This record gives sequence, C-alpha cells and structure tokens, in this order.
Amino acid sequence: MKRSVSVIAILLLCCLVLTAFAACKQEEVDHLVIYNWADYIFDQDLEEFEAYYEQVTGRKIETTYVTFDTNETMLTRLTRGDTNVDVVCPSEYAIQKLIELDMLLPMHYFDDDNSNEGKQFTSDLSANVDKDLYQHNSGNVEQGILDKVNETFGSIQVLNEESADYGKTRRMTDYFVPYMYGTLGILYNKVEFAEMGIYDEEILNQANWGILFNDDGNGGTLSDKLTGKILMKDSIRDSYAATVFYLKESGKLDDLVSESGKPYSEMSAAELINAVDDGLLEKVKDALSAQKEQLFGYEVDFGKDDLLSDNAVVDLAWSGDAMYAVEESWDDSLNDGEGDYKLGYYVPHTYGNIWFDGWVVPVTRDITHTDAIKLFINYLNRPDVAARNVLEIGYSAAVNADSIKADDRAKAILAEGYSVYAPELWYVEDEDGNSIAQLVDDSGEPLAEEDYDYGSWDEFEMYFFQNGYEDEEGNVVSYDEISDSNWRYPFASAQQHSSDSRSLDSLGVMRDFGDKNHDVVTAWNYARSTGDTGSTLALLGWTALAVAVAVGAVALAIWLKRVFRHKVRLRDGTKD
Amino acid sequence: MKNKPKFKFRLTRRAFAYPYMIFMLLFVVVPLVIILINAFLDDNKQFTFQNFVEFFSDAGGGLTVLGNSLVIGLVTTLICLVIGYPVAYFLAKYHASSRVFVLLFILPMWVNFLIRTLSTKALFMQLNVPLGMGTVLFGMVYNYLPYMILPLHTTLVSIDHSYIEAAEDLGADKMTVFLKTVLPLSLSGIVSGVTMTFIPAISTFAISEILSSSKIFLFGDAINMHFSKTTNSLGVGSVMSLVMLLLVILSNVAVNLTSKDEEVSAL
Repeated sequence: MKRSVSVIAILLLCCLVLTAFAACKQEEVDHLVIYNWADYIFDQDLEEFEAYYEQVTGRKIETTYVTFDTNETMLTRLTRGDTNVDVVCPSEYAIQKLIELDMLLPMHYFDDDNSNEGKQFTSDLSANVDKDLYQHNSGNVEQGILDKVNETFGSIQVLNEESADYGKTRRMTDYFVPYMYGTLGILYNKVEFAEMGIYDEEILNQANWGILFNDDGNGGTLSDKLTGKILMKDSIRDSYAATVFYLKESGKLDDLVSESGKPYSEMSAAELINAVDDGLLEKVKDALSAQKEQLFGYEVDFGKDDLLSDNAVVDLAWSGDAMYAVEESWDDSLNDGEGDYKLGYYVPHTYGNIWFDGWVVPVTRDITHTDAIKLFINYLNRPDVAARNVLEIGYSAAVNADSIKADDRAKAILAEGYSVYAPELWYVEDEDGNSIAQLVDDSGEPLAEEDYDYGSWDEFEMYFFQNGYEDEEGNVVSYDEISDSNWRYPFASAQQHSSDSRSLDSLGVMRDFGDKNHDVVTAWNYARSTGDTGSTLALLGWTALAVAVAVGAVALAIWLKRVFRHKVRLRDGTKD
Repeated sequence: MKNKPKFKFRLTRRAFAYPYMIFMLLFVVVPLVIILINAFLDDNKQFTFQNFVEFFSDAGGGLTVLGNSLVIGLVTTLICLVIGYPVAYFLAKYHASSRVFVLLFILPMWVNFLIRTLSTKALFMQLNVPLGMGTVLFGMVYNYLPYMILPLHTTLVSIDHSYIEAAEDLGADKMTVFLKTVLPLSLSGIVSGVTMTFIPAISTFAISEILSSSKIFLFGDAINMHFSKTTNSLGVGSVMSLVMLLLVILSNVAVNLTSKDEEVSAL
C-alpha cells in the first residue's frame, strides 16, 4: 500500500515537471548575449531595448551582459571558443585581428554607395520585424570615423590558412558598427602644475608628450618636483604610442630612417605609431627604461585615485576616464573660493592617438538568428540612446553631433543631464508613456533659468560639441586652451577652431602590431624589468654590509666576554 | 545478471582519498603538463626551443628580473630570520603564556593579505613615505614573517629540554648552550622557515604591484604579465613558470636533505 502511494506521488511529480517544461516551450523567448567592456553601456538601455524589440517584432527577448577587461582577454576567449556570445564590442585593432582570423560575420550596416539606407542589412531582417516601425540609423554614424578607419586599415587580408577565404581582402566597415571613441592624452593636476610654474599654454605646448617624461621639449626637465609623480599606463599599446610621439617631438628620431625607407621626421601621426620596426623599438625600449626614475608607477585602475589624493600629478589616460576624473575633482576651495576642477586633461597638439570601439558579430553565431543582433546595434545608433550612453560612460558616441542636435529627445536628455535651461524641451516621454527627461520641479512647473548651470541650449551646444563659445565675429573660441577635457567631438570641432592649430590629421589610428607583436611585448617586458635596477644592487650591498656588521658585533661581544672571563680566571689563579 | 562485473568497487578506507587524488590530478598535474607543453610551443603551436633561448638570452629582461627577485627574496628571508628567530625562541622558552602571543602572530594572517597590503599602502601614503624598494620590503617582511616564526616555533617547542639541561650540567654557559645545542637542533625549523618565506617572496606579484605602484617588477609580475596582459607570449611565460617550479623543487630537496641529516645526527 505504501509503495503504491509513493509511485503515485512520483508520477504526479513527473507530470508537474513535464507541464512546467511544456509551458516554457510554449512561450518562446529570444536571447541576446552582449560581450562588452564593464560599465560601457547605460543599464536601462538593455531593459528598454527588450521593450523596443517586443514592439518591433512582437517577440520577447532576454539580454545577458557579459564583460571583459582587455581586448587581449576577449581575443583569447573568442579564439579559443570559450564564449558563446552574439555581439562583441572590441577596439579597432582587435577587430582587425578578428577579420584576419576570419572570425566575424559581415554586417554591411553601411552601403557601398554611401546611400545609408542599409539595403543589404535591412533586407536580411526576418519577416518578424515590422518594417514600418524599423528605422535604419546608419546615417547617424559619424562619417569621419568611417573615413579614418578606411584610411588606416584599407583592405584587410584574411591570414587564417584554414579559412576558405584565405588571402582575400575585407573592408572593416563591412564588419563593424562604431559605438564609442576617444583620444589618448595626459591627465594632470592643474593646482600642482600652477605651483610648479608650468601651468602655461606655451610651456605645455612645447613639452607635449614630454610631460610624461619630465622633459620640457628643450632638452631640460619640466620641473624637479615632477620626478616621482608621473603615472604611466600599464598597457603596452598606449605607452608605446605616447613614447613614439615623445621620441619624434624631442628630435630623437630626426636622423633615422625607418625600415620602409621613409625618414621618421616626414611621417604623420598614423604612420608613426604604425611603423613598428626594430630601430624604433630599440629607441622606445631605452626611453621607457630611462623614464622609470621619473615615475610614481604604472596604473591600470587606480590612476584617478592617485591623482585625486595627490600621490601622483600626471597620468596617461583615455579621454572618457579623464573626463570622469575631471568631473570628480571639483573643489570648492579653489579659484579664490569660487571653485574649480583640480584636474585637467591635455591632448598634445603635435600628435595624438584616436581610437574606436565597435560592434561585431563572431562567426560562431547562427546566421539565421541575427534579428536581435541587428536590432540591438541599430538601436544603439538612435540619437537619444547615444546621448544617454554619452552621459553615462563619458566617451563620445559614434552618433554624430548633428544627429544629436537634430533630435529633440536626445537634446532633452543632454539638457537634463547637464542642467541646461531649455524650456521648450521640458518634458519627454518614451513610447510607453514613461518620462525619459524631465526639466520640471516637484509640482510639474518648468524650472526657472537661475536653477540651471547653463544659460541656454545654444550656449551649451557650442560648449559640448565644439569645446568653445562663439565670439562677436562668429569664430569659435576655446574656453580653456590648456584643458581638453571637453574636447568630445574632434570630428565636429577640429575644423572650426580658428584659435586651435590642431586638426584631425594629428590624430592617428593604431593598427594591430601584427608580426611585430611579439617584439613589442618583449621590448615592453624589457623596459619594465630593467632601469632603476641600481636600487636592487644597492639593496644587496646594504644588506651584505648590515649582515657583516651584525656578525662582527656578535663576534666581538663573544671575544670580549672570553677575554674578560680569562682575566677573572687569571686573577682567581693568583689568589690561590 | 549472470555475469558478475569484473571490477567491483569496495568501500575501503583508501577510497576516501580518491576524490582528493582526482582533484590533485585535474588541478595540479594536468596544468603542470600543459605548462610544460606550452614551453615548447611557439605562437603558431609549432615545436620550438625559441622560448628557452628568449628567456636565457635575457631578451625580455626575464633573467634580470629573476636576479632582482632572488636578491629581494634573499633580503626578505634574511630580515624575517633575524626578526623571527628571537621571537620564536622566546615564545618557545616561556611556553606557558605563549599561546596568546602565538595567536597574536597568527591573527593578522586571518585578514586577507590583499586587504592588509592595501591598508599598508594607505598608511605609507598618509605618512608621505615614497613608494619603492623600502615599502615593498616592508610589505614582504610583514606578510611573510608568520611563515618564518611558525615552523621555527614548532621546532623550538619540540626540542627535548633534557638536552639543554644536560649541556648546562656539563658546564656550558648560556651562549654555548644556544650555539651548540639549541641552534643545531632547530636547523630543520630554520630551513623550512626559510623555504616558506623565500619561495613566496620571489613569486609574489601583488605586494610589489601595490606597494611600489608596479614600479618594482618581480619575477611573479613578469610571469603574470606574460599570461594575463598579452595574448601570444604564453611560451616564455611557461618557461618562466618552469624555472619557478625548479626553484621550488630545489628548496624542497634542501629541506629533505637537512631533515635526513638531522635523523642521522639524532641517532
């Protein structure tokens, strides 16, 4: 009897489990796995994308966000097949590498004829997608980025011998959709610089990348107080770029000719960082090794904290990180009590590095299942979504300035985020009636002008997109020639700055080191291992000395004791 | 059901060790074999000796780093020994009240060492001490001192007191008792203390990274860099790991040799 009861119970349980499975199967849910940098998207974007997806396709979707910390980690995991992800957001050189390995699905987000309708991209969407609700956003992407990428990478050859397409060439713009971009520059403590007497446009423009090497650009040091206060990035590529620029400016490459036969002195920024040859590597190695005695250390994550707590004064930094650090550094006591930012960001005017991160689809994905991927990538290029990501992340979105300026929702989001007085955009709702930007007080009334940091939207627009203001003659003038922390849109502001000598040509995109990768890694290891080793030898010397002294002292003590005892014994002897 | 299974699992006491043995095989032996294989592979997975050539020719500064690490490890061990021996000696001598003191020495080890090191850095920054060789040495000694004291303490406590009494009865003064009786009897403790300090000291990377802002670059940092910061220098990193492994084996051999000597002398 008992047995039959338990059998029935088990049967019942089985039924329950089965029906649960069946219920799961009935309500099919799509999945999208996003493999991205940590903190590199606005959290709410994912939820809102899920709502948007359901609206356009009528299907539910679940998104999963997986993160990586370096391009190298991401590359290793992708090439070993450790991860099953749908979209990845690597940097441009890692995309080059993935194309060479033939590991990416072509996207064709941009048309060959620049019509920006995305004919192939949209025609591949399945019947689930409501074509009336879908709007192709490739026209919003900054054309300058695509030009830079094509100029630097041109046609990439597939180097994977196992691939059927071995030896064929690919265009990077067919495979990726730009997401965010930024520059490489120098984050520094304005207050300390002023105390050292080097917070001066002329001095800094003379030193340029030499700031990281405590070199004033005229053969002297920038300031003795800077020694031991410089932070370098613990990243091979960024440190390499900064060092090559420094070598070029300081004339250390003047008489040298590269392996390609072109003298280094005639090279542009892009040519310079991509000309990786043995002679140059040797120079970089020596410069980095010698730089050690000027350094506070190498940082990966702690650079901002060390600068804010005055442990270090200078740091090699990316623009978004720098902007975040500058915003954090507001100090009310500065500027005679009016308050000012303690930190500043400086992109040397001579040469610089500009980089891009973009979305790609690894070839491991099922090609019939790309609706979610495509809708997601396209969704991120909507001006309002981009504006929110810019606010959240600090880097510049690939969506161009004009598209953002033309979109009311994007403007409202920026106006709210930066407290801009813009009564005409005071309240914005999304499709579901939720408020996404609100410039009203608790009672629903528009706020008064004095409640805002910025006077008007026009003023803010000049500041935000062009890093300056308009003078009476209509020229764009920078607020602060030394600080580039607001230089978010080099593509929008480079040509228009009359007072600024820099142009987009001074910013180079860095390719993958390719065959030279191993040599660069070896050189970097060598630079990190050597230099400043005098202290180790000195340490050995001092320890040897200390041990010798200690042993000598003990020996002396024992000897003295014996001599003393001997004397006592002698005296005892005479007594007898 | 007629055929009996050839292998029958019997629940003997030995069976309880199998899970751990399987664990060891999977997570210690297999990784070591993978490292060994990687040391002989180039970027394209072809057999090569190039990794060894690269390391021993000091192309990436690997040998220099090894030299620096050995020096720093040696100095750390020496300082730990000089500080740790007297501490262990007196803890052992006043045995009754020492349990509390021993606890005091073990107590910091219960705090995660990264947290301890980070707070040490914060202290140094607060006191305006420049980060560098001095701070790294301090951090090393601070972290590894318990590993020196504990084996020394164990050995010193286990010394039979009658040896010392015998030496005293035969007319040895305190210094002679220490030099001729206690010190030789505690030799095995010294060797295991030295090994337990020296090996982690040359392979650490977190202490030097935090307490010198990565400026002092040790062998552990170099191996870490080869594996985590770059995609295609696993080969050289594996060679470096093998060198590290060799050092560990050598020091274990040294420990075994001294303990054997002791057995002989004890007879």
